[in-house]
Amino acid sequence: MNKYRIMIIDDEKIVGDMAKLSLEQEGYTVETFLNGEAALSRLGEQKFDVVVTDFKMKGVDGMEVLRTVKQLYPDVKVIMITAFANLDTAIEALRGDVHDFFPKPVKIKELKASIQRALS
Amino acid sequence: MKIESKIILSNIVNIGLILLIGFFAMRNLNQMQTKLRFVEIADDLNATLLEMRLIEKNYFIYQKRDFLFDIQEKIDKAEQSLNSARKDIVLGVGESNFVLLKSHLEHYSDIVHEVQSDSHIDATLNSRLSAEGKMLREFSDNITSLERKGENDIISRSKFILFYSFFAILICAVFVSHFISQKILLSLREIEKLAKSISKGNFKRIDGAIPDDEFGSVMVAINSMSEELRNREEALIQSKKLASLGILTAGVAHELTNPLNNISMMAQTYAELYDSLGRDQRIEFMDKVEKETERIKEIIKDLLDFSKPKEANLKETDINTVMQKTLKLLQNMLDISNIKTKLNFVPDLPHVLIDEHQILQVLVNLITNAVQSMQAGRTLYLATRPGSGGDSVEIQVMDTGKGIPREFLPHIFDPFFSTKGEGGTGLGLSVSYGIIKNHKGDIRVESMVDVGTTFTVELPVYKSKQMSV
Repeated sequence: MNKYRIMIIDDEKIVGDMAKLSLEQEGYTVETFLNGEAALSRLGEQKFDVVVTDFKMKGVDGMEVLRTVKQLYPDVKVIMITAFANLDTAIEALRGDVHDFFPKPVKIKELKASIQRALS
Repeated sequence: MKIESKIILSNIVNIGLILLIGFFAMRNLNQMQTKLRFVEIADDLNATLLEMRLIEKNYFIYQKRDFLFDIQEKIDKAEQSLNSARKDIVLGVGESNFVLLKSHLEHYSDIVHEVQSDSHIDATLNSRLSAEGKMLREFSDNITSLERKGENDIISRSKFILFYSFFAILICAVFVSHFISQKILLSLREIEKLAKSISKGNFKRIDGAIPDDEFGSVMVAINSMSEELRNREEALIQSKKLASLGILTAGVAHELTNPLNNISMMAQTYAELYDSLGRDQRIEFMDKVEKETERIKEIIKDLLDFSKPKEANLKETDINTVMQKTLKLLQNMLDISNIKTKLNFVPDLPHVLIDEHQILQVLVNLITNAVQSMQAGRTLYLATRPGSGGDSVEIQVMDTGKGIPREFLPHIFDPFFSTKGEGGTGLGLSVSYGIIKNHKGDIRVESMVDVGTTFTVELPVYKSKQMSV
């Protein structure tokens, strides 16, 4: 059991579920959210080390999550995953100081490696 | 004939008429002048004859032969003026009257000679002289007054001709200008109608004969403009199709990537956790995989419906029957969602020519959307009624749900546009739109956030080829 807390935000429930199952194997504490609003309000109560968020969501989207996290908790690393992978979204995310950027379908091993890098 | 030529022609006709009137007026004036000259001469002649008769009277009173010479002198003078003015007199009263007058004068002169040559004064000869003198003077007087009357005739005839010719020109001018302006207005209206239909996006050509005038040129120009516009619109539609193909591709990519990602992540997790998973968990994983493939299948089905609308199987149908069938189909969903319905179907509506299955699909889509936007306990209003124009039938689906934000309204019929999140593919309304357009109908939306959304479908009334008498 390590001491790191990971937050997963994706409106596709399976993404959170699978990431949670896999990451918990590594000893991470994982919480999943289906939308940005709930996730941001949870961040106010609980410190997370890494936030993995989907890019395109109804309401508060991935970019807004990224901006809010970087503004309020600059130490928290944000990893973006998206089904809408194109250069524009990647550049937008990089400008927002994203830690990493994954197009869907996501390779869980790569995601894990990226989280480890974020924490080291 | 060109309008310009028509105007010129009508002007020529009017000028011709004016010239004709001028000609008649001149002719009458010339006649007047001749008559006047004659009357002048006749007055002179009459004065001479009057003097002659005065001398004749003196001769009878004083019985002096010297007077006869004076008479002869006057006769010579009268003869002289008759001869010198012969042309004018003939023109004025005619050859026969001139000859008659002259013979009267000669006859009188003969009698004067006879009286002169007679040595004594003969009473019968004197009375013949007096009678002949009287006749000569009366004849001369008569033709003079006849001529005076002729003058009056010419003046009143001139007045008459001038008066009626004036009206003829006036009527001709009014009629011709009215005729030409009517023709211009008619052509203008035709062009106005065409321009209006073009501005409505109906790029039709003017069929039938193109007149050989200025409007013909305008019509030819409009026809070529209309054709050009049609070509450009086709190009525009083509480019819009390409653009929507782009949206479609991006939409498809996004829609398919999510379930694919889910399957991929489940497969990866399944392999990683295989040993620690129980039998039920493994089956649950595979069930979820199956569900995701169903999702992909659903997207592909919608996509096919969208890209290749099935050939519509059109039949004359009562729209209220279709509404009832739809409700029967959806009753279960309405009950589960606890949505009440209020129906207002106008009976005996004109029939519509529709593919029942396709319209059913549209109605199911609209009502499902409505139900999904509403909280339990709310009311859904469904109505049918004749369209405002009288040649269509309207179906209204009015929910009391959360409404659609104004900025989304222009996009709701775009493929892959959805406000439902995970639940919708964003193809339902787009497919519905295509179906209604295929039926030559219209689908409209009005919405207010937190109040509700109203979809109105308008379908053209079926017009039987054999109209009932």
